[in-house]
Amino acid sequence: MTFVQKYLAWGAGALALLIALIFALPGGKVRGFDAAGFGNIPILDGGRVKPLDSLARNSLLVIHSRQGFRYEGRTIGPDEWILDVMFRPQVADQQPIFVIDDPDVIGLIGAQQKQNRNYFSFADLSSHLEEIQKQAQTAQPIAPQKRTRFQSAIVNLFDRAYLYYKLRNTLQLAGSPGLGWELQSITDAEASARHQDLMQLAAFRILPPLPGGPPDAWKNVGEGLRAMAAGQGVHPALVPLARLNAAYLANDAASFNQALADMKGVVSTLKPGALSHANNEIVFNRAQPFFVGLSIYFVAFLVLCVSWIYKPELLRPTAYALLFSGAVVHTLGLAARIILQGRPPVTNLYSSAVFVGWGAVILGLIVERMYRKGFGTAVAAAAGFASLIVAQNLGTEGDTMEMMRAVLDSNFWLATHVVTITIGYSGTFLAGAIAIGYAIRKHIVTKVDVETDKALVDMAYGIICFALFFSFVGTVLGGIWADQSWGRFWGWDPKENGALLIVLWNAIILHARWAGYVRERGTMVMAIFGNIITACSWFGVNMLGVGLHSYGFMDQAFYALTGFIISQLVFMAICYAPARFWVQKPHGKA
Amino acid sequence: MIKTLASRIWKFFKSFQLTIVLLACLMALVVLCTLAQVEMGTQGAVNAYMRSFFVKRQFSFLPFPLPVFPGGGLVGLLLTLNLIAKTLDIQRSWTKAGMWLVHSGLVVLFAGEFVAGMMQVDTNMSIEVGQTVNYVQSYKNMELAVIDTTDPTWDEVYSVPDTLLAKGGSIAIPGTPLTLNVKRYFPNAELSNLPPGAPPSLATAGVGPGVSVVERPAVTNDNEINTGTVFVEPVAGGRSYGTWLASMALGAPQSFTHEGRTYSLSMRLRRQYLPYAFTLKQFRHDVYPGTDIPKNFSSLVQVVNPSQKESREVLIYMNQPLRYEGKTFYQASFGKNDTLSVLSVVENPGWLLPYVSCVLVSLGLLVHFAIVLRRSLKRRQDKKEG
Repeated sequence: MTFVQKYLAWGAGALALLIALIFALPGGKVRGFDAAGFGNIPILDGGRVKPLDSLARNSLLVIHSRQGFRYEGRTIGPDEWILDVMFRPQVADQQPIFVIDDPDVIGLIGAQQKQNRNYFSFADLSSHLEEIQKQAQTAQPIAPQKRTRFQSAIVNLFDRAYLYYKLRNTLQLAGSPGLGWELQSITDAEASARHQDLMQLAAFRILPPLPGGPPDAWKNVGEGLRAMAAGQGVHPALVPLARLNAAYLANDAASFNQALADMKGVVSTLKPGALSHANNEIVFNRAQPFFVGLSIYFVAFLVLCVSWIYKPELLRPTAYALLFSGAVVHTLGLAARIILQGRPPVTNLYSSAVFVGWGAVILGLIVERMYRKGFGTAVAAAAGFASLIVAQNLGTEGDTMEMMRAVLDSNFWLATHVVTITIGYSGTFLAGAIAIGYAIRKHIVTKVDVETDKALVDMAYGIICFALFFSFVGTVLGGIWADQSWGRFWGWDPKENGALLIVLWNAIILHARWAGYVRERGTMVMAIFGNIITACSWFGVNMLGVGLHSYGFMDQAFYALTGFIISQLVFMAICYAPARFWVQKPHGKA
Repeated sequence: MIKTLASRIWKFFKSFQLTIVLLACLMALVVLCTLAQVEMGTQGAVNAYMRSFFVKRQFSFLPFPLPVFPGGGLVGLLLTLNLIAKTLDIQRSWTKAGMWLVHSGLVVLFAGEFVAGMMQVDTNMSIEVGQTVNYVQSYKNMELAVIDTTDPTWDEVYSVPDTLLAKGGSIAIPGTPLTLNVKRYFPNAELSNLPPGAPPSLATAGVGPGVSVVERPAVTNDNEINTGTVFVEPVAGGRSYGTWLASMALGAPQSFTHEGRTYSLSMRLRRQYLPYAFTLKQFRHDVYPGTDIPKNFSSLVQVVNPSQKESREVLIYMNQPLRYEGKTFYQASFGKNDTLSVLSVVENPGWLLPYVSCVLVSLGLLVHFAIVLRRSLKRRQDKKEG
């Protein structure tokens, strides 16, 4: 590698980091309504203080599966969308944001399936809401894993429509003249009923706790109005909120931005710290480190693939530099989550996927440093990319920084047991990925290269040892946690069994190798099977819906898991195919 | 001849093949046990697959269940033997010290699971706020309680476990003049009002004559309880007091009087009385602000133990159980609008073994890695010099 090549390679990596940084920077000077600033307002939702922007993003993800959409030739982001939903529902109701894929559900609302993706607006749904609710209520008592496809789809649609309905009635009742009018007509005959509705439907609490009260006593608008009607005075945040509402309706950007500044002033007096916490989270939201990271991994993987046929001495280090930048972004993202949440990195299924990918990438970087054959880079980039894709899909169910249920509320055990066991997953997956690379190589590379084969097997073997150590220690730590919290070390609970299966499988691979029952290819086939075991114990056991650990239930992923298992079986077959199928014909006794 | 046989057995037990076959069997068992939990409940599946020597299956053409696969007990036992043989076989040199430690740690771990499987008793204690409870009760097992309620300040409790009721015949109650003749026992049954014109009940006294009993298959699922039901005839001093119906489905105990002493009969979950008592002073169920997500459950309990002259307050909360007199009490559930706290109680004499094992294995792995590292460093050094 020449000097120039080295600089070019690291230049590419630096460029990737620069692009990631651009994502994190705030947009330029505000023109018109400061929608982003509105998204900065801290609220209490799901038991924690977060910026309104996070709620808007997660709600839009739940309803629309994306964080933005195009409407009338413009891209509408989460902050602008939530402004419309809350202050101008007549506009937001027309935007086609509800994705419905199930043909029976589409039939139920009297529409025809147009394309493979069908988008409907709340206005389209509104005349069928009663029917949707009726159908959903029949399906709800059935356990999620026993529902039919239609039942799952209708419950899902109902939940999304209800979320939208709540958002629409959080700051003002949809269809009413607005919050300012509500403040004036506080003594109205029907005011009390309206306050009641607002209290019940509120999706979040936006009024910060008043001095003298409990520090967590955030209120929603309905509660604020009720307190006001009861003669306890106007909550100081209600006035700027009403002005925000009026200015947005009147299309008066200057007054809107002024009211926003006043609102933030009120918040920072009542709850110092909430605003800066919200600001930090906004930076994290805007930077989207995991999305940027997976894009960089993807590019790194492509560059590496190209390097095998074109200019390897330049492109291989470039791919490594890109992988390194991806890892930096990924690490920063993880660190940001840890700081924002005040928790160790793995707290739910989503974050476990993020962490598994991170572990695999770091291991891959180390392996690449040791062997410098490009395989570490390839496998790490592929594993990082795949696991972040999985994480993106798991993250569509709402807030990924939700509060920990009582039994999980232990940072010590989350940091030890959960992290070690997840590193064990990373290792097993990385070994499996190396084995897949080995299998494919046998079939496409013509040159016999005993040394590379041996290096790959050494890598896989080393990583399996590593994975066995971490999954064993993690499992035993889990047993100790179980003994501390449930009074028994081992209860054959599905999740515990899943962890045990990984330990047993890695132990079988190592013993079979030590005893000489398997050699190169056998080890590799077994390593690929490790992927199946790990995927099943990671996700599969959650689908059974039994046991103490079944807090991460998911119904959609069943087909994805089946597909993954089949693909791994195919790779095993490819790996095990006899030598006459290889391009790389062994010459005599190679 | 004997020597070759012995050496063959020795060879068999220390072989890697055996290790791999057994580990594979264990994996299969773990998978089956996990899948079976959907239908059988955790406890049922664990008993069928893990805490048995053979997995048995009932075939329609055979009157008894046939073993079809080695159970967890057998696999575990063989694996332990294999481990011991292997450990003894590992070269007795310092370079293998790590492996020695790891494998002996695993033996301890298996032993721990054996002890748990054989001797662990799971019970629970439900207390309402202000109530004092001096017993733990079983989750599933039942008993017929015969209580001498003559003294208003003191109940003398005699109980007959369901396993004894299932055997039938007559059961003498020691310490009383009573003998119970078990007329019929149902492990699980459904009770309803006896419809007019139906064949009369076996019962002749108490509420029994008005109740119809239909047998139901026993359930093993975790959150279901069998409705154990029995027809018994108490006999004392040669005199019969009629046939009584006792069932989990009947609430109030029924009583009869013999020679001035009143005895009540009731079916209930099996109880174990303790030489100490717990009083629930406070139960807390905290949630995150503005949500229903539980943040914390805790029970403030007054432990009163007259034999130790002990009376103290203990806070039992999530991840913080109370270990007391060989039992572990941990916060498991709640009810009745947060006025009832349910503590799960586990008694496992081998609870320390996994901790010992954990230390041994971790230490072993560290030692082994240190040795390997030293060797490879030395090799590198030699290379440099040579």
